[in-house]
Amino acid sequence: MAEEKIGVYICHCGTNIAGKVDVEEVTRWAAEQPNVAVAREYKYMCSDPGQDLIKQDIQEHGITRAVVAACSPTMHEPTFRKAAGDGGLNPYLLQMANIREHCSWVTIDGDAATEKAKRILGAQIHRLPLNLPLEPIEVPVNPNVMVVGGGIAGIEAALKLAATGKKVYLVERDPSIGGHMAMFDKTFPTLDCAACILTPKMSAAGKEPNIEMLAYSEVTQVDGYVGNFKVKVTKKARYVDIDKCTGCALCTEACVVRKVPNEFDQGLSKRAAAYIPFPQAVPLKATLDPTRCLTLTGKKCKQPCVAACGPAAIDFDQKDEEIELEVGAIIMATGFQLWDPTPETRYSYGKLDNVISSLEFERISNASGPTGGHIVCKNGEPPKSVAILHCVGSRDENYQEFCSRVCCMYSLKFAHLIKEHLPETEVYECYIDMRTYGKGYEEFYKRLMDEGVHFIRGRAAEVSDVGLTPNEEGHLVVKVEDTLLGVTRRLPVDMVVLSSGLAPRADAKSTAQIFGFGCSANGFYLERHPKLEPVSTVTDGIFIAGCCQYPKDIPDTVAQAGAAAAGALALVDNATVKVEPTISYIDPEKCSGCHICVGLCPHAAIQYNEEKGVAEVIEAACKGCGVCVAACGSGVPQQRGYLDEQIFAEIEGALAL
Amino acid sequence: MPSGEKIKICQQCGTCTGSCPTSYLMDYGPREVIAAFRAGMIDKVVKSNTIWLCTSCYSCTVRCPANIKITDLMYELKRLAIKYDLLPKDSKNPAMTKYFIDNVSKYGRNHEVGLMAKFMLTKDWGMPFRFAGLGLKLFTAGRLPLAPKQIRGKEEIAKMSAYLDAQEAKAQ
Repeated sequence: MAEEKIGVYICHCGTNIAGKVDVEEVTRWAAEQPNVAVAREYKYMCSDPGQDLIKQDIQEHGITRAVVAACSPTMHEPTFRKAAGDGGLNPYLLQMANIREHCSWVTIDGDAATEKAKRILGAQIHRLPLNLPLEPIEVPVNPNVMVVGGGIAGIEAALKLAATGKKVYLVERDPSIGGHMAMFDKTFPTLDCAACILTPKMSAAGKEPNIEMLAYSEVTQVDGYVGNFKVKVTKKARYVDIDKCTGCALCTEACVVRKVPNEFDQGLSKRAAAYIPFPQAVPLKATLDPTRCLTLTGKKCKQPCVAACGPAAIDFDQKDEEIELEVGAIIMATGFQLWDPTPETRYSYGKLDNVISSLEFERISNASGPTGGHIVCKNGEPPKSVAILHCVGSRDENYQEFCSRVCCMYSLKFAHLIKEHLPETEVYECYIDMRTYGKGYEEFYKRLMDEGVHFIRGRAAEVSDVGLTPNEEGHLVVKVEDTLLGVTRRLPVDMVVLSSGLAPRADAKSTAQIFGFGCSANGFYLERHPKLEPVSTVTDGIFIAGCCQYPKDIPDTVAQAGAAAAGALALVDNATVKVEPTISYIDPEKCSGCHICVGLCPHAAIQYNEEKGVAEVIEAACKGCGVCVAACGSGVPQQRGYLDEQIFAEIEGALAL
Repeated sequence: MPSGEKIKICQQCGTCTGSCPTSYLMDYGPREVIAAFRAGMIDKVVKSNTIWLCTSCYSCTVRCPANIKITDLMYELKRLAIKYDLLPKDSKNPAMTKYFIDNVSKYGRNHEVGLMAKFMLTKDWGMPFRFAGLGLKLFTAGRLPLAPKQIRGKEEIAKMSAYLDAQEAKAQ
């Protein structure tokens, strides 16, 4: 091994490191280590003057290797490797020693922290002479983008990208795009009609030539890597030829199966087996429900739909179709589902009439809903009193621990709608804390107080139909402690609305797996960095937007969708993308062709070459996870930048004090 | 206080008090007990009737969104109150609790007639008159046997009880 000249740069990180680690002592110690030519400390290495130290030493002192002892490499490794490159050194000849997250932040005793910092740094000094120069791999980028989920987040992201001239595939599981927002009546705090502001966007997405809409379709498999994803999408059979269907709904009127619970109305109304989910559906095409249609379930039917359909669009022989698409980036906008209040048995949801979920209330108050927008109880009478219970399933260790963010505001909106429709009706809001954090939200809260809504600070204990006094008889009774009074109250009401939190989709985990990223502990998609990369995932080229990441309101969702679109555009607008060269390679001379690594590779990046009888790494697909390196019985696959001898050298360095 | 570890994360939502069947009789509801505990005003609460009116129905514990073991906390506060003699004025509940435990230790189960007789004689002379009607009904239905019934395995219960006493003495 040739004599190397190592430069050591130790960061104070203000007091983050220097408050615990004796930086001067570590610097003095480092200067005495083998191969170390220069050892310096600096208050903020990541600042421009700090980076200049590395560049100057390379140019003036002929430094051939460098190590920066500072924060986690996930934070600033790119910064310092770029600085090394600018100075004329191969970036991969610079290593990071993490003495902040791994040392100063997690060590109580200062002396112990200083000793540990030396060992962490020593490991890198010891391995550096073995580092090899590496060159980033440049791969071409497919300019198309896929957006998964056609709610407001997906629609917004797709429209933004389409406006830049990029081709967008918009994949939606349901027969129509629109998502939850299409079910709402009004939106807080401005009380815009949800349909009035959403349907123009839905319609624009349907007409946009750059958007290829794949409604009633699901992604089943994702292969490839940043800039080059291969996505398999199953287009579910509608049993209707969408090129012929005009959306006239005559089949719906003709269909004899009329009692299918209507998902769009939360089951509060019935639809036919041949259906269009709602009048403004995009695409406005009929679908035959394969679980309810008599013909499709093998029963006898005179098929009046076929007779009713002018353009002869109905096709009982249609099959699911699998297509494969190539895209450079993917935006996940798969949304949420409402937390089902059934397990919270004390609120009697599903047991007592007129105890309803928030989405059910949305439909009841909506002009296109099952009651034509009249807020009524099950018996058709308007309620004289309504209790709205906050935090159902939320802020609760037994269910969802987090605050769902939107429920306070939508509950206030409900109160307003009730007061607007039924001014004489008493409305009670039972809340723990009123969280009105957005623009215009606190003002809306104040407006509702002024409208005469009763605010009771307390989480409802139970809902029953047991009346103890004549004025409770025949009513629902909500028991709640008014914590500001210190008095337990019994509220006799005609309707109880349960303000459930937003929950991750039941299949969020398996969906995330298909796309190769993960979920947070609470089940929502995990962003790469909670503050600085909130719309990226750990998988390069896959972005997230909307409630699949965490509960959020419409303004935040739209803003995030724009950010995700910008992130995707910043990628696909380039002809090529550089990927890390720290990937594995297989020496064909040594490989026995046993196939073990081929099956284990989680990224399908190893293929078997039948002709040569050996396994080969597809460089662009390899993510550098190291599974093949660990799995091979003969130790043939090696990962660049993490060679066995480099790792052993690190271990020796860490132990060699 | 082992059951009190989590009171720091109580969000004062009032689910416990709202769920409590006897809170309407209490000087302070369970939520206020926790608030007082956190405010360093626990002596006030311990001297109140609250902890002695807890019927151990566990509704609060089951429903608490912070998983605070409120019923267990009530028990510990009762022990503290007895230990430091912080009883509410004219409180009869500690006596009732003590007679109940004596009864169970002796027979392995409660003997209602013996318990009530002792309690009435020492603490509440008026009680036989107020409850005469109910007592008679229970008696004629055979629910108030004069002679105590004993359980099998009384010795094992006694051993368990002695073990627990020893553990508690050790802990203190």
